[in-house]
Amino acid sequence: MIVVLLISFFGACTVPLLARVMGRGAGFLIALLPLGLLTGFVSVASIVERGWVRGQGIPWAPQLGLDFTLRLDGFSFLFCLLVTGIGALVIIYSGGYLTGKPRVERSRFFTLILLFMTAMLGTVLAENLLVLLIFWEATSVLSFLLVGFDGRSSRSRRAATMALQVTAFGGLMLLAAVCMIGHVLGTYSMAEAVRQADVIAASPFGGPIVACILIAAFTKSAQFPFHFWLPNAMQAPTPASAYLHSATMVKLGIYLLARFEPVFAATSWGRATVITVACITMLVAALQALRAENFKSALAYSTIASLGILTLLVGLDGPAATVAMVGFLMAHALYKAALFFCAGSVIHSTGQQNLRSLGGLVRVLPITAIACLGASLSMAGIPPFLGFISKEFLFEAQLESSWELVPLAIAVLVNAVMVGVAGVITLRPFFLGRDKLKPVRHKESLSIVAPPLLLALAGLIISLDPDWITRVALRPAVAAVYGRPVEVDISVWHGITPMLMLSFVAVSIGLLIIRFWRPIHTRLRSVDRLDAYSVERLWERGLRGLVAGARGLTAWVQHGDLRRYLLMVVAGTAALILWSVGMADAWPKLPEPGDVRIAPTIVALVGLGGAFAATRTKSLVAGLVATGLTGFSVAITFMMNGAPDLALTQFTVEALIVVLLTALLLAIPIATPATRTPGMRRSDAIIAALLAGLLFFGFLDMAAHGHESAAGEFFGRMSYVAAQGHNVVNVILVDFRAIDTLGETFVIAVSAILAASLLATRGRKAAPGTPAPVHFSFAIVGRGLALLLLAASIVILWRGHDQPGGGFVGGLVAALAFAVLSLAYGVDRAQRSLRARPLTLVGIGMGCALVSGLPAMLAGKPYLTHLWWDGGGVLPKLGTTIVFDLGVYLVVLGAVLAFLFGLQREASR
Amino acid sequence: MTYLYALVGAGMFGCAIILILSRNMVRMLLGLSLLATGTNMLLFLAGRIRSQQPPIIEEGVRTLGESADPITQAMILTAIVIGFALTVMLAVLVLRAWRTQGTVDARDGDAAETLGPPRERDPVDA
Amino acid sequence: MPDALLLIAPVLVPFFGAALAMMLRGRPVLARAVGVATTGVLAVASFALLWRAATWSGLPLTVFGGWPRGFGISFSASWPGVMLVAVTALIAVAAAIYAIGDIGTRRRRAGYDALMLAMLGAVNGAFLTDDLFNLYVWFELALVAALGLLTIDRRPSQIDGAIRYASFAMLAATAILLGVGMIYGITGTLDIREAGAALAGRPPGFALAVASALLLAGLALKAGLAPFHLWLPASYHTAPTTVASVFAGLLTKMGFYALLLVFVALFGIASGSLAAAQLTPVFGLIAAVTMIVCALGALAQTDMRRLLAYHVIAQVGYMAVGLALASRDGVAASVFYMVHSIIVQANLFLGIGLIRRASGSWDLSGAGGMVRREPLFALVFAVPVLSLAGIPPFSGFWAKLIVIRESLDAGMGWLGAIGIVAGLLTIVSMAILWSDACWKDPRRPLHRIPRTGVAAMALLSAATIAIGLLPQWLWTVAQLSARALTGTP
Repeated sequence: MIVVLLISFFGACTVPLLARVMGRGAGFLIALLPLGLLTGFVSVASIVERGWVRGQGIPWAPQLGLDFTLRLDGFSFLFCLLVTGIGALVIIYSGGYLTGKPRVERSRFFTLILLFMTAMLGTVLAENLLVLLIFWEATSVLSFLLVGFDGRSSRSRRAATMALQVTAFGGLMLLAAVCMIGHVLGTYSMAEAVRQADVIAASPFGGPIVACILIAAFTKSAQFPFHFWLPNAMQAPTPASAYLHSATMVKLGIYLLARFEPVFAATSWGRATVITVACITMLVAALQALRAENFKSALAYSTIASLGILTLLVGLDGPAATVAMVGFLMAHALYKAALFFCAGSVIHSTGQQNLRSLGGLVRVLPITAIACLGASLSMAGIPPFLGFISKEFLFEAQLESSWELVPLAIAVLVNAVMVGVAGVITLRPFFLGRDKLKPVRHKESLSIVAPPLLLALAGLIISLDPDWITRVALRPAVAAVYGRPVEVDISVWHGITPMLMLSFVAVSIGLLIIRFWRPIHTRLRSVDRLDAYSVERLWERGLRGLVAGARGLTAWVQHGDLRRYLLMVVAGTAALILWSVGMADAWPKLPEPGDVRIAPTIVALVGLGGAFAATRTKSLVAGLVATGLTGFSVAITFMMNGAPDLALTQFTVEALIVVLLTALLLAIPIATPATRTPGMRRSDAIIAALLAGLLFFGFLDMAAHGHESAAGEFFGRMSYVAAQGHNVVNVILVDFRAIDTLGETFVIAVSAILAASLLATRGRKAAPGTPAPVHFSFAIVGRGLALLLLAASIVILWRGHDQPGGGFVGGLVAALAFAVLSLAYGVDRAQRSLRARPLTLVGIGMGCALVSGLPAMLAGKPYLTHLWWDGGGVLPKLGTTIVFDLGVYLVVLGAVLAFLFGLQREASR
Repeated sequence: MTYLYALVGAGMFGCAIILILSRNMVRMLLGLSLLATGTNMLLFLAGRIRSQQPPIIEEGVRTLGESADPITQAMILTAIVIGFALTVMLAVLVLRAWRTQGTVDARDGDAAETLGPPRERDPVDA
Repeated sequence: MPDALLLIAPVLVPFFGAALAMMLRGRPVLARAVGVATTGVLAVASFALLWRAATWSGLPLTVFGGWPRGFGISFSASWPGVMLVAVTALIAVAAAIYAIGDIGTRRRRAGYDALMLAMLGAVNGAFLTDDLFNLYVWFELALVAALGLLTIDRRPSQIDGAIRYASFAMLAATAILLGVGMIYGITGTLDIREAGAALAGRPPGFALAVASALLLAGLALKAGLAPFHLWLPASYHTAPTTVASVFAGLLTKMGFYALLLVFVALFGIASGSLAAAQLTPVFGLIAAVTMIVCALGALAQTDMRRLLAYHVIAQVGYMAVGLALASRDGVAASVFYMVHSIIVQANLFLGIGLIRRASGSWDLSGAGGMVRREPLFALVFAVPVLSLAGIPPFSGFWAKLIVIRESLDAGMGWLGAIGIVAGLLTIVSMAILWSDACWKDPRRPLHRIPRTGVAAMALLSAATIAIGLLPQWLWTVAQLSARALTGTP
């Protein structure tokens, strides 16, 4: 069977290419694929007759519970016959129907239909529920693509989207059900799920599982309240409607229900729900079928009604119901597909589909008319057609089951309406109203008349000689669904039974409907309220509401005000911390108060004062100065606490920030209007204080506990011994944790690219530098100062390994040198004295830093292991660390200069 | 001293938050710079305040004696430089915003969110 | 020795490339050559690393500078890091192919190649490192490079987007840095496994509670989880298509990977440690809110870029479900989802870029007609669309299935139910996207789209199909990852 699926799939991908090279005849050739499959199925009929076959399972993803297990039992077999048989006819029919379309589109249509066939086969053959789900979803997607085949029209797109929404909703419900079954049983085998139906029903997930399965089935089989997508899906090309939306796909819901009947029957409310929904569906559909004004939608509503009957039969208990269900399923597939073909022919040849404006077509479409008549008689349940037999079974099942008479009455009524509809759609377009006949566009062709005629004939032949089909398909199917063999006796004449009486009643009412169709139809159509309160409208309104709600929500959340965004982040962080400490029930432990040193205290408090002042001041310049003050005081604090490297870095960074931001402030207006109301400022302050308070206690608690760092101790021990450096901080940066530094160097390098790209004056050359007027004293000392700083930077770089300093600070100091130059003589002059483009420096620096780690790898050591050469007493000890540090130096220098020159140039424009 | 430094660090952090929540982008910029400073101050506590001795091995000695925690310092040093790069980058962005839109008020700079008309003329560069 | 080189190659190769591309910035043709060649080498190295990791028995590891583990910074070839590195390489290759038709001379002059390579290096670094502070450094590098890429055209919307992105990211970086510093202050080490061992079994004190909350806030912002997601729809869409695609694929996932690393490997929430157990419920809440709010957000958009930006976040919500379950299988589910999502999101952005090229509009109302004009594109584009919608047999189906299944098994079925609701919203949104872009008649005649763009998408679509058809393989990797992260054999 896996082979069957593979043939089907690859056939679907390749065979339709024929349609690209062939004209009308392509349909016949392509139909050989489904026909071949049909033959294959028929050839295994004798095995199915005896029991059920289980195909070998291929473990696909066993850990996920997914085995590609297929099985072919009677019920699946019936579906397979229908799917391949009708599939072949659909292909033939499409060959004639799509003559007006370009070849590429025709080929695409064939591909989709054949893929759909594959998916259908997969669904009904699947034993593993996950496999079932996969194919089930595939049918939904293919239905979406087929409904929207004519994607240009907005109605098609709307119908396709609606069909997808509803069926995908059902698919997700099925997914949920499958997940829950897997959770309860620990397996995804369908047989297992059916066998352990009681376990499922008794588990806490029983209710949800049944509800989800029912919803999945109702959406697929267009049961109330999900029925509305089906009439809209008639936007699909008619062959697709015939195939998907009447004969096969919509029956998948019935298939699922029938398979899971033991599961929902095990709950107290399962059967009642199914029957109630079926009855409502039948009534609604019958009413709408009478209101429908065009050919295809009348058929669509009658399909929904039929699906309702099938659902009802699944819901009823007793073997007769099962027999009736299986029989009706087949009969309906045959006659409804035929009717759709006829409808398609009418639309194809006249371009009209309104029932009121069609008439007299028997003269131009005689064979179609005959086929239509045959199918309609079957639909109306007139002996000796198959529909009659299945109707008998239907009434018998209802009489036999333990249910009330209400469903019976509804069934009779609905059957009557179906008689009526069958009559109307046959008589009106073909036989009545000959005066309405208009010239037709296409005449009948073989590919268009053969399929409906064959189907109509099949309906007649089967009922006259039912033995073969009963033996190979119906009886095994019933046995498979019911769980044990049931005697199925199909014959046209059972004698005068209550069922026959009921049939007679139904037909009589039906005849009355045919007679008075026009007044009933116009009367019903005039009731607009039916449209206004239809589920379709509600669904659409719901969707519109959802989108409007989503818009509202998004506009509310994503309001565009950066301040409130950031407030959200800050408040969210504070809330998280509060939650965290609250739920952990942790209270801060406070450290021992140590001695207080006066000078550091003053320095630190000055820093805090600066920060505070920065929040209060209105002037941006004052704010910059206050922030700078804070930075410097922190630098001094570092200095006083044994961190000279930090202090040096902080000093230079702070100085450069002040220089760079000054350049920024020169460009933009200093005077700023207030951007926050006092209330906002107050709430900001409260949240900031909250967060700061939490951090305060957090860090106190951290400091209250002891601190042992094995790494810190190790670094202290090994720094000189193994890494040849006295300055442990620098050794950490260039050796122990050099990859951090490498990353950080890249941060700076990359930010330089950004600066260069954002600040470059594109398009026109910058005006030749007219040096900005600077104070002459600055101009005089500038050069000397710059040289001094440069020299200092090199010293800092060189001795960094042993004394405070290193590449970072060195680079920053060197950059300061050029900052001085550019302040004194203008940017252009400063850049000229650099003799290289800043970014080139950055690139070279990156290269140096990267390369410095490589030599060690040649010696078989990890990257960034530094190598040392002893100068033999004459030269100082040299290591690859200096290359690394030089790289850092160059990157920092180049990057800062890129910012500096760019900002100053931009600011002076 | 631990109390003091925790207080100062957290205080700076709080002040920085207040500045960041301003809609004036230059103020935000100052706030972010201050935020980095306050964070570094707090981080310094991770190595504890225990010795005023810098972590530099004296000449003639092979191992480090009692000193401040070197790992914290290396970490903060990296953080300072990264913070610097980010602050300056943001400064460049603010300047660019001022040049193209003539505003430093975050409320006016919402071209990214409003997107303008659907067919905003953006260059396809190829 | 080759193994050690292999382990650091995903970082070093792009870095060398970036340095070279930076110097060649003025010569776009050469820069492009460097970019493409480096990406090729990177891909080879990354997949070789994946291959080695899959066949190695032990846990290979390199400590930079040759110091003992725990003292130097170490990179380890552990799951899921090597897998994510390989996926990153895949995205990089696709982006490089796509860039041929999207990134022209001007953008290359502005440093596109160097920036992109630096970002890839940073992302790989984050996936491979075992060190907390090192992780922070890679985040910063990725951020800076991302800002550079975001503003590459200097359009006002880009500048604004970058300012938004930068200000959020700097807050996040501060929170992460403070958290990392506190972890160091508490445990005395920056090595994730060692710190994790030091924290295991210890009830959270005040400082640890603050530190874990800070790390959660900072990393959740990076990952784009609600309510910290606001920066993402405000900035991603302004970038050039190639860039947006790499962002969508990699950046948020990098944040999420860090969440996994910190909360699973460090705090051990999935292995019964108490260190941050109090935050587990928060993950459930965050995941639920993210999924629903962002799926709705996507539904409200007509601009394709923002529509997808919201989906990027909603997908991270699904991943966070795995964390909320606080179980090993939950972590595995997250990893599976992450790999799927990286590929699909990147692919979708590439797709809308091509739609924009053809129709001249980012808005759905102006798009259309692709199925008739570019049938191949429509087919290739359908793969990520269906996958994101969770339709079988594509990767997204398995990802959703696993998340829902694990949440049921962990007794948190309500999270799975929310996932299903968000999944329905996603389907609706994807159906609109595809049918509007491919079926509808376009407003104006369509332009041709570059073949290279379709080729790049086909590469990623093939990966999506491969995962969909062979979910077993990725699931095994995900389970190995969960074992490696939780530290249980």
